[in-house]
Amino acid sequence: MNAEQTRLEEAREQKSAWKKWGPYLSERQWGTVREDYSESGDAWNYFSHDQARSRAYRWGEDGLAGISDDQQRLCFALALWNGKDPIIKERLFGLTNSETNHGEDVKEYYFYLDSTPTHSYMKYLYKYPQEAYPYSKLVETNRGRSRNEPEYELIDTGVFDQNRYFDVFVEYAKESPENLLIQISVHNRGPEPAELHLLPTLWFRNVWSWYGAPERPNLQELAGKNASIAVKAVDAKLGERYLYCEGDVDLLFTENETNTQRIFGVANRSPYVKDSINDYMVHGQKEALNPGKKGTKVAAHYRLTVNPGQCQMVRLRLSDAAPTAAATFGSQFDEVLKARRTEADEFYKMVIPASLNADQANVMRQALAGMLWSKQFYYYDVDKWLEERGSDPFKPTRKTAPRNDHWHHMYNGDVISMPDKWEYPWYAAWDLAFHVLALTLVDPDFGKDQLKLMLRERYMHPNGQIPAYEWNFGDVNPPVHAWSTIFTFILEKVQKGEGDKEWLKSSFQKLLLNFTWWVNRKDRSGRNVFEGGFLGLDNIGVFDRSAPLPTGGYLEQADGTAWMALFCQNMLQIAAELAMTDPDYADMGIKFVEHFLWIASSMTHLGQDVSMWDDADGFFYDVLRLPDGEAQRLKVRSMVGLLPLCATTVFDGKALAKYPELGERLRMFLEARPEIRAAIHDPGKLGVAGRRMASILDENKLRRVLAKMLDENEFLSAYGIRSLSRYHADHPYVFRADGQEYRVSYLPAESDTGMFGGNSNWRGPIWVPVNALIIRALLQYYTYYGNDFTVECPTGSGVKMNLYRVAEEITRRLASIFLKDQNGRRPVYGGTQKFQEDPHWRDCILFYEYFHGDNGAGLGASHQTGWTGVVARAMHLFTTSTPEQFLALGRGAAVVETEPTQRRRRKPATTDVGRKAPTPRA
Amino acid sequence: MNTWDKRLVALFVDKSSQQWVVRDPEGKFWFVPTVKNPWEHRQPFDPTEETELEPIPRHYIHMLDLPF
Repeated sequence: MNAEQTRLEEAREQKSAWKKWGPYLSERQWGTVREDYSESGDAWNYFSHDQARSRAYRWGEDGLAGISDDQQRLCFALALWNGKDPIIKERLFGLTNSETNHGEDVKEYYFYLDSTPTHSYMKYLYKYPQEAYPYSKLVETNRGRSRNEPEYELIDTGVFDQNRYFDVFVEYAKESPENLLIQISVHNRGPEPAELHLLPTLWFRNVWSWYGAPERPNLQELAGKNASIAVKAVDAKLGERYLYCEGDVDLLFTENETNTQRIFGVANRSPYVKDSINDYMVHGQKEALNPGKKGTKVAAHYRLTVNPGQCQMVRLRLSDAAPTAAATFGSQFDEVLKARRTEADEFYKMVIPASLNADQANVMRQALAGMLWSKQFYYYDVDKWLEERGSDPFKPTRKTAPRNDHWHHMYNGDVISMPDKWEYPWYAAWDLAFHVLALTLVDPDFGKDQLKLMLRERYMHPNGQIPAYEWNFGDVNPPVHAWSTIFTFILEKVQKGEGDKEWLKSSFQKLLLNFTWWVNRKDRSGRNVFEGGFLGLDNIGVFDRSAPLPTGGYLEQADGTAWMALFCQNMLQIAAELAMTDPDYADMGIKFVEHFLWIASSMTHLGQDVSMWDDADGFFYDVLRLPDGEAQRLKVRSMVGLLPLCATTVFDGKALAKYPELGERLRMFLEARPEIRAAIHDPGKLGVAGRRMASILDENKLRRVLAKMLDENEFLSAYGIRSLSRYHADHPYVFRADGQEYRVSYLPAESDTGMFGGNSNWRGPIWVPVNALIIRALLQYYTYYGNDFTVECPTGSGVKMNLYRVAEEITRRLASIFLKDQNGRRPVYGGTQKFQEDPHWRDCILFYEYFHGDNGAGLGASHQTGWTGVVARAMHLFTTSTPEQFLALGRGAAVVETEPTQRRRRKPATTDVGRKAPTPRA
Repeated sequence: MNTWDKRLVALFVDKSSQQWVVRDPEGKFWFVPTVKNPWEHRQPFDPTEETELEPIPRHYIHMLDLPF
């Protein structure tokens, strides 16, 4: 067991709180639903970036490269000033939804370079221009662009020309759980000496203003020892902490309180307010700082002049240890930092397969670093929030809240994995289920906790619905929670020899509530055909699927129904696992078998006029049911029609062997309904190793759908499976209703409409999470059909592959988005020369939200490592398993590594992110 | 004309005078100055049709040390 694994073990056993401090500070608290107290619910404009420096937050904090404790009482982050900006850089800048042509977008360059799961070591890079940051230019230029034009990015402004910028690396290393070393390295990449005001900042989250708490926390200067300055931080709940700052620096004290003069036009009660440090630095307002050297917010002021090509370092320490005579920044500091770096390398040697080359290893490590840096303390007491806006749910005089009115049971106050801490600094239930697939590579305990969290009574609605996200907790996301749950259980079972059945059992009970919610709420006709609205696929439909249809009537959704078929399979898997030691669950198993069969057969609409399956096209479509009883398929070839393929799971038959009576009940059920067996894959038919398979698609349908999915003129791109078939580039789907035309065309890049805010696009780009589902499904089919089932891949190429090889090929294409090609260029960075060629940029990887359907360029949120980080799991899978293992072990093979003997040594290489890539395992 | 909910304590900013305005539990309006113990120094206030009151989130009420 290496040092980081030991720390994980100590954290699991609650011996040491190694995870108490971490990157839990958000990168954007302004513009969130939580901070929005407007009547209209216009969160983006109610609390703006311009206000953020002056207005205390109610529900959280934000900052640059920041950390906090796990209840976010005390925060630490960087602030920077180049002497030219109109404000100090305390937080990332980005444009709001209404300010751009493609929705909200952060306009900064920052990279999560490394993190261990306990955050014993972390590294972050921020690129800070030496010239004035072009705030207005970004706003004005983007505002003037149409939806058919690309976004105007920071790099386009020329502010990085001649490399006039600083690379600011921030490293954190934990000497102990409560003793954090902080090293900030400032590199001048420009041609001339340049000055930087570096302002490491410590502050308390403001809780005292809102409750009138008598015990207000405080910060105060202590006499320094050993050439350092110290700040003592005291909080009634947190206790005492000390920030030690190397060298003789000024400490700038103020209060983390709203500047009411600037925000509301009412005189301040005290001159010391949230933006005082900014006003001192930029406007020279000395009176804005507290001369008594105390407050609730403090920055150490380092004034650095860095020569071209040179680096200057600043060191700090945040600790619970009071000052002593011992050196705070001596050689011991360097030794601990070095040790944590080495331990991080050792940890990742165990995680990253040695057969990956240096570039692949770098991509995988940064993917995991991004996943870990995307943890955030998320605080939202909905009942309190409603009360504060006059919408107290139990007062007769209440006003209607613009959102989340029916979610007043919710009390969230936890560290949660975010999709993107700037663009999506709030949890999203179905994203989270995917996050866990990647996070469990490094921290299975955290993954389990995340899944459990969403099912707790403080999150899940009393009616059984899992909260979607803060913009509307009542939105409907695809039900993937059970899938992630059984995946995580099997992972642990295979790795440890035993799964956590208590965790699985308690999850199953709550998932039952959720399953019942779906059945009772989203099956309008009671015929096992499901709706659900947009279901996470935003603009994929010809209409907004969450809005009333322009034709009237309703949609029978191929994806909604397929998701429920998969949900049934996952519940069946869980029941079967639990039934091995608890016969009470055997009955639940048969219940989910039958329910799956009802749902699966409904997709072909037995006895109905129009089914979702189109036999002429060999594809599934949504069906529009009109008020007059007429029905028609909406023939858009999209991910909606591929999802039925994903609803497949292979069973090893152990539960049936243990409970023969279940097999008899299943046989009787099927014999009484031969039409079901004829419509879908026959569940009685045995495959490789006597396995059974639950699948909507029989072999014929599977081959026909795969032929389209693997056709490069349709779904298969060089970088994965597209969300919409390229067929629609030349054949747009057009639907006319009431004189209006609705059109779906292939759009490989950004959306050309404002549907769902216009900041995402499912009409062509590649999305990693649904590709992961497809890969999973192909492996399920492979373990059932074996090597004899082959298809052309790509369609028409003449190359035959079994389905393991097809899954591997899709993974290879997905991973190639991030990897250097034969010309040393990464498709993710498209035509951006600096990212492609500059040695200080080209090996820093961004994991975007989605990718261009033809050239793989990154699109949407730039730091959505969240579910895009799943690429790390896929890369891991195909370098640590073999087809033979899959055939031998079935689903367990997905989490079993091959022995190191099958790996080959790779050559260590120096990356441009500052350190050597991990060395190979011996 | 504004219709006030008299059972709800609320905080506003009067745009013209740039002062806090508090509506107490009885529905009465008060100017509350920016001083220590502000409630003790409150002054009666009668909003008119022309009064421009900007609603402030309720959590700011605690910041003014109000007795309710």
